[in-house]
Amino acid sequence: MNDLLTNDVFLTVVHFFVTFLFALGFLSVAAMLLVYLERKTQGYAQDRYGPLHYGPAGIYLAIIDPLKLFLKEDVKSGQTDSIMFRLAPAIFFAPVITAFVVLPFSPYLTAGAIGTGIILYVALSSIDVLGIFMAGWGSNNKYSLIGGLRSTAQMISYELPLVLSIVGVVMVTSVLAPGCTSSLSTLSHCGIGSISFSDIVHAQMQPGAPWYWFVLAQPLGLVLYYICGLAETNRSPFDLPEAESELVAGYLTEYSGLRWAMFFLGEYGNMTIVSAVSTALFLGGWSGPGASLGLWQGIIGHTGFAGFAAQVIFNAFAAFWFIFKMGILLLVFLWIRATLPRLRADQLMRFCWLFLIPLTLFNIVITAFLLLLPIGLVAQLVVTGVVNLAMLLFVVFALRRLTGVSATGRLPRWAQQRVVVSATNGANARANAGQQAALSAPADREATPAGRG
Amino acid sequence: MATEATFRPGTFVDEGGLRSEEMILNMGPQHPSTHGVLRLVLTLDGETVINCTPVIGYLHRGMEKIFENRPYMGGIRYIDNADYLSPMLNEIVYAMATEQLMGIEPPRRAQYIRLIVGELERIASHLVAIGTYGLDLGATTPVVWCFRDRELILDMFESLSGHRFTHNYMRVGGVMFDFPKGWIQNCEKWLDVFEKKSLPDLEGLLTGNEIFEARTEGVGYIDPQQAVAYGLTGPLLRASGVNFDVRVARPYGAYREIAVIPQIRQEGDCFARYRVKMDEMRECVRLIRTALDRLPGGSICQRTPIALRPQRGETYASVESARGEESIYMISDGSEYPYRAKLRGPSFTNLQILPELLRGNKIGDVIAILGSIDIVLGDVDR
Repeated sequence: MNDLLTNDVFLTVVHFFVTFLFALGFLSVAAMLLVYLERKTQGYAQDRYGPLHYGPAGIYLAIIDPLKLFLKEDVKSGQTDSIMFRLAPAIFFAPVITAFVVLPFSPYLTAGAIGTGIILYVALSSIDVLGIFMAGWGSNNKYSLIGGLRSTAQMISYELPLVLSIVGVVMVTSVLAPGCTSSLSTLSHCGIGSISFSDIVHAQMQPGAPWYWFVLAQPLGLVLYYICGLAETNRSPFDLPEAESELVAGYLTEYSGLRWAMFFLGEYGNMTIVSAVSTALFLGGWSGPGASLGLWQGIIGHTGFAGFAAQVIFNAFAAFWFIFKMGILLLVFLWIRATLPRLRADQLMRFCWLFLIPLTLFNIVITAFLLLLPIGLVAQLVVTGVVNLAMLLFVVFALRRLTGVSATGRLPRWAQQRVVVSATNGANARANAGQQAALSAPADREATPAGRG
Repeated sequence: MATEATFRPGTFVDEGGLRSEEMILNMGPQHPSTHGVLRLVLTLDGETVINCTPVIGYLHRGMEKIFENRPYMGGIRYIDNADYLSPMLNEIVYAMATEQLMGIEPPRRAQYIRLIVGELERIASHLVAIGTYGLDLGATTPVVWCFRDRELILDMFESLSGHRFTHNYMRVGGVMFDFPKGWIQNCEKWLDVFEKKSLPDLEGLLTGNEIFEARTEGVGYIDPQQAVAYGLTGPLLRASGVNFDVRVARPYGAYREIAVIPQIRQEGDCFARYRVKMDEMRECVRLIRTALDRLPGGSICQRTPIALRPQRGETYASVESARGEESIYMISDGSEYPYRAKLRGPSFTNLQILPELLRGNKIGDVIAILGSIDIVLGDVDR
């Protein structure tokens, strides 16, 4: 028995299963709650109640809904490509669970603190597209095929700005590396930056400035990442692959029951991951009031059971703050869904290639330039933040009309000469004259048959 | 109905010897956004539409034949179902045609009531059109807001006629019931809320929306000559800059006393059609207010014989329905039944331009353009 407990292979296998079950469990619960929350948010936005009857405020629906999907018949039409059709949900869903490995919920709730977390996450998120394309092809349905093709084009294109928008954050971590400026011990290389989620979260909690979240240094980066995340997860306004009004249900058209539920779970899991990554990279990860080990060790004690309790409380706080920030970002997902219409397929691609990618590249160049300025660390960070915020505001307020250009290839509104037409003309003047006359005689042209006899 | 042999996809071989094939996509009749049971046979090259053949008739109920087998008064109940989003306006045109055959004129109060309920119905219909248009473009919220406001109109109709949807309210020679107690105050209150709250909310959600503009501006352009040549009417025509409104060109009923300002835009694209509908709703509110202020007293229905037997003859009556010129060509042979009642549905005429507009557009625009034409299949198939 003791051999078993010290056997590395055994422990690795156990760790693997624990990690897998945690990821699956968290994902399922998150997806269930998200579906419920989505209905409630949509209901709130649309001036109605949403789920109401089962349980307090309809909360039982979160459980009943997946149960219903479990009990549904798994329909598969005869002409589908059977292998593709059956493999697709698994291939779509597997990377979603795997991507949970890298997310740092708290210092000790990280399933696998890999040094190359961002690369792994990006790689996994681009596997999703395979599943969708297989579903689109294997369904042998024209709507599914178009949905799958759209999705392939969309997800491959939006990978680029998604990665490029993260680069800014990695660059900022490079100046915060310990050898360069401070005595931070978790970053191992100076001037290279880190692509590990845990390191990036730690970099946002400098001893001198515990609230220096990277959203302050890279607000534009957060917005760009979030937009690309919307596209990556096929959420409104980029939900073209499953555009209900055009393609019935896109690549999901032929799916039902548990297979459909896996796609659904995967989509909501993707949303959760995008929010979690935004939280870790831009919103300080698990930092927040109370999420400080020193504080609790000071209150309870350093050693023995007291030390253990302090660790537990600290981790609970850390996880709470991480999930709280994640939840806020998820609510923004739902809010956007309730507000915005959907782009057209070609507009979507134009928006990516002509607007997002140049902007992210520009952001990288500007950030690199600012971080090379010989003005000291604090000044560098402040200037980066200010310039980035200015870029964001410029994009939002000055270039917002230009997004119309990139989307439609036409002049923006303000550059067009609008013809204002007066509604008054001959026919209307006649009607106005009629209005002056109090009661006209019964009009003969109205009240008599046109041709009698 | 077109046969399947018509829709054989073309095959092409390019210089490299790569074979490509057109794809035939049957959109509808069971499709969430064909606004009923329209079937579009789209020939696609990738996402681009090469050709489109609308196939209609899935909602054909033989309405014109039913009219011939019902007494004049009985047809009113059936015409409700023609353009089922604006039944009041349908009833008005049927009642008007019969009145013209009978040679009677409804009392002035009845004409005003017809204007009020007609304009309310126009608002209700435009609300559905705009709400579902938002839904077609992927916005889920406007449709619920629109239906919320429309519900209150239907509530008013229910208290007035007893029915929410197929009202059966018009009578030959007038209307069935007078306004119940408190109806007018209720209506005025609703108009205030609608104009001050609902319309600006809707505008805020759609009109200024960057994505909505990108989806609709410049899409589905109809130039004025084309619009006239296809015989388009209603908001579709006025959005192309042609000033034609039956209420203005051939004023009927209370429109002879209350002037309508036709809402016209020059752009001729989907966005202009949306804006025309929004502007028309404001105009409707103004018309209803004016009519309520000037509402005359007196009787609401002309006395008519129980069995209507108009003289031999024929007539043509038309009203401006929410979708265009809704009219009836009615022939009487002197019996209790119409010899022929031909219904001109604006949706049917407006739908004809669809294949012309769709060619060369993307699949996403198919829905955007179809939604902006705003058809009701009950009116197309009858």
